Amino acid sequence: MRKLRILETGLVACVMAALSVCPGRTVIADEVSELSPANRTFFENKIRPVLVKHCYACHSEQAARTKKLRGGLRLDSRAALLKGGDSGPAVDLDKPAESLLIQALKYESLEMPPQGALPASIVADFQKWIELGAPDPRRKSTGPMRVIDFASARHHWAYQPLKAPAIPAAGTAAVASPIDAFVADRLAKAKLKPVPPAQRGVLIRRLYFDVLGLPPTVAQIEAFVSDDAPDAYERLVDELLASPHFGERWGRHWLDVVRYAESITLRGFVFPEAWRYRDYVIQSFNADLPFDQFVREQVSGDLLSDTTHSLPQRRRNLVATTFLTLGNNNLEDQDKGKLRMDVVDEQLETIGRGFLAQTIGCARCHDHKFDPIPTRDYYALAGILRNTKTLNHANVSKWIEMPLPLDPEREAKLKRYESQVAALQKRIKALKQKTPGATSGLSPLPVQQIPGIVIDDRQAELTGTWVKSQFTKSYIGTGYQHDQGQPKGANTAIFRPVLPADGEYEVRFAYTPGGNRSPAVPVTVTTENSSRTVVVNQTQRPAIDGRFVSLGRFTFQRNAENQVRVVNAGTTGVVIIDAVQFLPVELADKPAVSKPAATASKKAKLSRRSLRELERELKTLTASSFARPKCMSIQEEDKIEDTRVHIRGNVHNLGATVPRGFLRVVDVGSKLNIPANQSGRKQLGEWIGSKRNPLTARVLANRLWHWLFGQGLVPTPDNFGTTGQPPSHPELLDYLATRLLQSDWSVKTMLREMLLSDTYRRSSQSSKVNQEVDPDNRLLWKMSRRRLDAESLLDAMLAINGQLRLQVGGSLIRSGTSNDYDYQHTNNRRAVYWPVFRNSLPDIFRVFDFANPSMVTGRRDSSSTAPQALFMLNNPWVIQQAELAATRLLAETGDDDPKRARRIVLQTLGRPATSEELRNILSYVHAADSGSPRQVRWAQVVQSLFASIDFRYID
Amino acid sequence: MLFPALDRRQALATSACGFSQLALAGMLNRSAAAAAPGNPLIAKTTDVVPRAKRMIFLFMQGGPSHVDSFDYKPLLDKKDGDVLPFDDARVIANTGKRGSEQLVKKPLWKFRQYGESGRWVSDLFPEMAQHADKMCLLHSMHTDGVAHGPATLFLHCGSTNFVRPSMGAWINYGLGSESEDLPGFISICPSPGNGGARNYGSAFLPPVYQGTTMGSAGRPAADATVRDLVNGRYKLPTQSRQFELLRRLNAQQRVRRPGDAELDAVINSYELAWRMQNNAPEVLDLSGETEATLNLYGINQKPTNDYGRQCLMARRLCEAGVRYIQVTYGDGSANPAWDQHSNLPKHADHALRVDRPIAGLLADLEQRGLLEDTLVWWGAEFGRTPYAQNKGTGRDHNPNGFTVWLAGGGVKSGMAFGATDEFGHQAVENKVHMHDLHATILHLMGLDHERLTFRYSGRDFRLTDVHGRVVREIVA
Repeated sequence: MRKLRILETGLVACVMAALSVCPGRTVIADEVSELSPANRTFFENKIRPVLVKHCYACHSEQAARTKKLRGGLRLDSRAALLKGGDSGPAVDLDKPAESLLIQALKYESLEMPPQGALPASIVADFQKWIELGAPDPRRKSTGPMRVIDFASARHHWAYQPLKAPAIPAAGTAAVASPIDAFVADRLAKAKLKPVPPAQRGVLIRRLYFDVLGLPPTVAQIEAFVSDDAPDAYERLVDELLASPHFGERWGRHWLDVVRYAESITLRGFVFPEAWRYRDYVIQSFNADLPFDQFVREQVSGDLLSDTTHSLPQRRRNLVATTFLTLGNNNLEDQDKGKLRMDVVDEQLETIGRGFLAQTIGCARCHDHKFDPIPTRDYYALAGILRNTKTLNHANVSKWIEMPLPLDPEREAKLKRYESQVAALQKRIKALKQKTPGATSGLSPLPVQQIPGIVIDDRQAELTGTWVKSQFTKSYIGTGYQHDQGQPKGANTAIFRPVLPADGEYEVRFAYTPGGNRSPAVPVTVTTENSSRTVVVNQTQRPAIDGRFVSLGRFTFQRNAENQVRVVNAGTTGVVIIDAVQFLPVELADKPAVSKPAATASKKAKLSRRSLRELERELKTLTASSFARPKCMSIQEEDKIEDTRVHIRGNVHNLGATVPRGFLRVVDVGSKLNIPANQSGRKQLGEWIGSKRNPLTARVLANRLWHWLFGQGLVPTPDNFGTTGQPPSHPELLDYLATRLLQSDWSVKTMLREMLLSDTYRRSSQSSKVNQEVDPDNRLLWKMSRRRLDAESLLDAMLAINGQLRLQVGGSLIRSGTSNDYDYQHTNNRRAVYWPVFRNSLPDIFRVFDFANPSMVTGRRDSSSTAPQALFMLNNPWVIQQAELAATRLLAETGDDDPKRARRIVLQTLGRPATSEELRNILSYVHAADSGSPRQVRWAQVVQSLFASIDFRYID
Repeated sequence: MLFPALDRRQALATSACGFSQLALAGMLNRSAAAAAPGNPLIAKTTDVVPRAKRMIFLFMQGGPSHVDSFDYKPLLDKKDGDVLPFDDARVIANTGKRGSEQLVKKPLWKFRQYGESGRWVSDLFPEMAQHADKMCLLHSMHTDGVAHGPATLFLHCGSTNFVRPSMGAWINYGLGSESEDLPGFISICPSPGNGGARNYGSAFLPPVYQGTTMGSAGRPAADATVRDLVNGRYKLPTQSRQFELLRRLNAQQRVRRPGDAELDAVINSYELAWRMQNNAPEVLDLSGETEATLNLYGINQKPTNDYGRQCLMARRLCEAGVRYIQVTYGDGSANPAWDQHSNLPKHADHALRVDRPIAGLLADLEQRGLLEDTLVWWGAEFGRTPYAQNKGTGRDHNPNGFTVWLAGGGVKSGMAFGATDEFGHQAVENKVHMHDLHATILHLMGLDHERLTFRYSGRDFRLTDVHGRVVREIVA
């Protein structure tokens, strides 16, 4: 008997080979013809009646139709049994006893049927039946089961191998470049004529914003417009591509794709080292790093370095892997197994959409519904990333920061410093052990080791903001709390004892002393009959064991409202609360376990003084902030392993183990083997960056086109699957992709070719005829008019008023920023350096459709909304920039108002003012009814120009 | 007019730019206000007959204890102090262990029956209790996420971890705004913590659907306003003249660039902004309210002033046609407001601050005839355990059973639906998952949760993912 198994997709390829010669993508399992009479009888007598009676109500086609199907499982055909439901295949023909169906009938894993376990004899029948190979005469199929045929799936345009297309003969149109030939060919076929080239003044503004993200200065405009040399444009293109500001513009595009951010949403945790990655991206674009290398470094930079690499290269390699760590993950998820897979999923989504424009994430729970990505391939890739540690897990998990390699000189210096610190710490520790009663030598004391009734600060009733701390180690329990030294009057802490009996108790108050503490903290003990306030000096070492001071002896009624209350009203310095002890007097009268410091010898006093000196020395040394530089990175897991399919994406429902690997639909020719002791990330980087990978080069070429022209040849830059849109010019896309490979993945070479094309240099003016045929300009008969994005808007306003500081790199996060809530952004650097805080984006980013920093964004939205208009009209920052521009303008242009008007229009709009504009502006500043000072009126003119269409759009 | 959800989705998916919303406006019933091009917030018709035109979500951040407020369990009094095994959600998430030993803790407030419906409410909320006959109490809520962050994101976005649009954004996308001068989704004093902006964000929906914030939790509500709504630098006559200059500049520039509808959208955005600036501040200004109304909400009285102002603002926004208004009682900390892991009596402080304002809001909506088509939802990201945390003085998070209530537009009143077990620990009868609540609320607003989809990254996404059941039993 031929055994047919469609248990897991891994076998599908063989099944396809064995079963079908047809190119279709469906297989129907049906082998009724091979059933022997004995088997048929067995099934009809022993199996079918049970299934009908106990199972079909919830597990049949009928149940599915009436929405009563449970667990996604149908038992009304053989194929359905083999396919199984949410928990996996119902029968295992190789291990019948381990079949889920048998386990469920035995009430082992699942418990079926739910009304009660069936007799053992029936279970035995089922087991026997499966051992026979589950012979089944039922003709009813489960409907077509989709099985992916990779060979035919590769007919989809994006998966086809890349080859250089023939460049169309341009016909009558004289064209500047192959790009124009492809475009002209399509336009000719559609009988459309392209619009004329843009004027020079338009072109230079377009070029500056597109290549640098900055406006040209008046001098730059004038020089270019008056330069008659035939190569003037080409020279300008080369000059701008070589500018250090190129990377700031184009690196930012990439940062959209990799969901770059400098904080995490939950709890607003700040990523203090993320900026290094941003600078790495900017430098990579400036240096025209080959894109395949850029890919490998980001995916596996930590695994690439060897001794032949220069130090800067090794540092870059490590910083590049920050790419994997930037996900907006839920660090406090209590189910750490789930969190680990969520992190992997996020990385796969970013890699899939970012580099390959594939929606791999769809296959986490089931085979991709549209694209040839089976769940098995998802877990083959997930296995690679699961071997990579991205978080250290704890109640609130934490990302990983790795030390950066240093040059030998710096390394030696740092080593020297670190050993000095270590030696000092060692001496301090030794001295502490020898010094009786050295406060700082005490270690935390568990509540259980203290006699009497102890109320820890955690059990106190608190109002106001108390900050938990463990800094000074002489605390009780798990830590102590302080009031941060302010605001005074807001904080109280009430310690309420549950006393075992009426009687007299000594009440003791614990605090950790220190120089910054309050010298007078009022602590009030209230009993049924009395209320007494004791003032505690927290700068001094507590007299009892270095931990407690006595507040006195009190008689308590156990059911009364007894309490000890601490308030910070009227105090100076930091108020500490740690614990309160209610000690029955008979215990208090016993000798203390450790000797109070008051009995310390003269010798001890001396060593305490030298201890203080050493501690001071340590403080001075560590304050020099000579810390080792770090970056966000990842680590290989200690244990390298393949992962198992997570059924329906559930980490607690595991299926078959899948060997690590890549998307099978993407054929890169040679096979990349993943050694058993390696995660496979290195190979993943090679697979993505392979010249044979048909996706990577196409995706990149399309992204570059999208960022330059405002619309990709494929309008869905993050989705090249069957649910994305097809390319408008497939040959042009392939031409560009092959050019990328020919130039060894040079982004600048590619951009240069695009910028020099006639297609890029066209006017953005519409043509009525073309507009009707092709309103979206998919055929590229004009240059699309594009809106200035948030960053260009910000940079341009600062550039025009002269405030922009064109400094490159570094972190702008103010020191001491512990979370990103309500962060106030203030600086005059380019927008690319402004902290990308997920809870506090700069207003201008938020309003002008900045990329959502939590997801891959290949194409930003471009909305026109009222909040944008309100921002331009009323935002204090915008008004301020306009005022600064006016001040500069007035200083530069003497008394000549018409000259001033012409200049500010040229500065803001990059073109000469029209006579109407001049008239409007001059009549506004000269208006008789205007009560505002001249400078204010000019500021309002500048602000209106900032808000006008011609400033906000690039023609 | 009914139309397939697909059309709407495709229209939006293919329109990266606001201007192509023109096509959308043509497809849909348009109100006079929305006839202008480039307004994606145009009011839209719905799949299902809407029972409510707008809604207010009163978010009790941190998780008030249901067993101390709305879910009366006499057994807790009897078993108070007993140590019994419970399936604690946190213990299970951390260790997988079931049946951990816990100290049963009785409610700290006395329960009484109220109204004709005889619903039980404790002395924690004596004023809200007066409106028991308006409420539909869902006692069998359960949700995903044991910690605040995940559960709060789940409450707002239907996912504990993945970046998904918030419910208000979905509703704004599905229904648009009835207001000419105001956004369709406003979040009053949202908390920066536990998901922050994601809780009113639009994720992959066009950003125009995200919530507009007014103020921030922990800041005085009296200062809460829409950002950049007013010009703090120039007086109105001056700004009017300046706006006239801008109009002229734009009109001239527009003429020179024929055939580009997006530029019309920009010009319209300025006109809308100008209307907002001139009309919205009036909506947000409480100074015209009568003494009696201010009193009703407890405004200008110490503990209730802040939340009272927020609630009154919500009513005014309702009147102005805002679709979805969230009113947060919370703060920016990782362990927010209602989070009494210890010191449960502190619940009384929080209750005091919200009880009267919420009762006032219900009374006010009713007396103005707004309650019948306004849905009010009171609730939190989860409830609390019927046992003391670590045998101490408070209660831990409980995502497995808790109570929320709905009132107004389209829900049965004076009703209690579903039940927790006899300790109030786990939902057992007529369970309502957060996905189900989302589906039900969308249904009440006139949206089919299975058809309200958006294609992103090759998939059609929904607020309810692949889950959710409309709880028809509570629909009036």
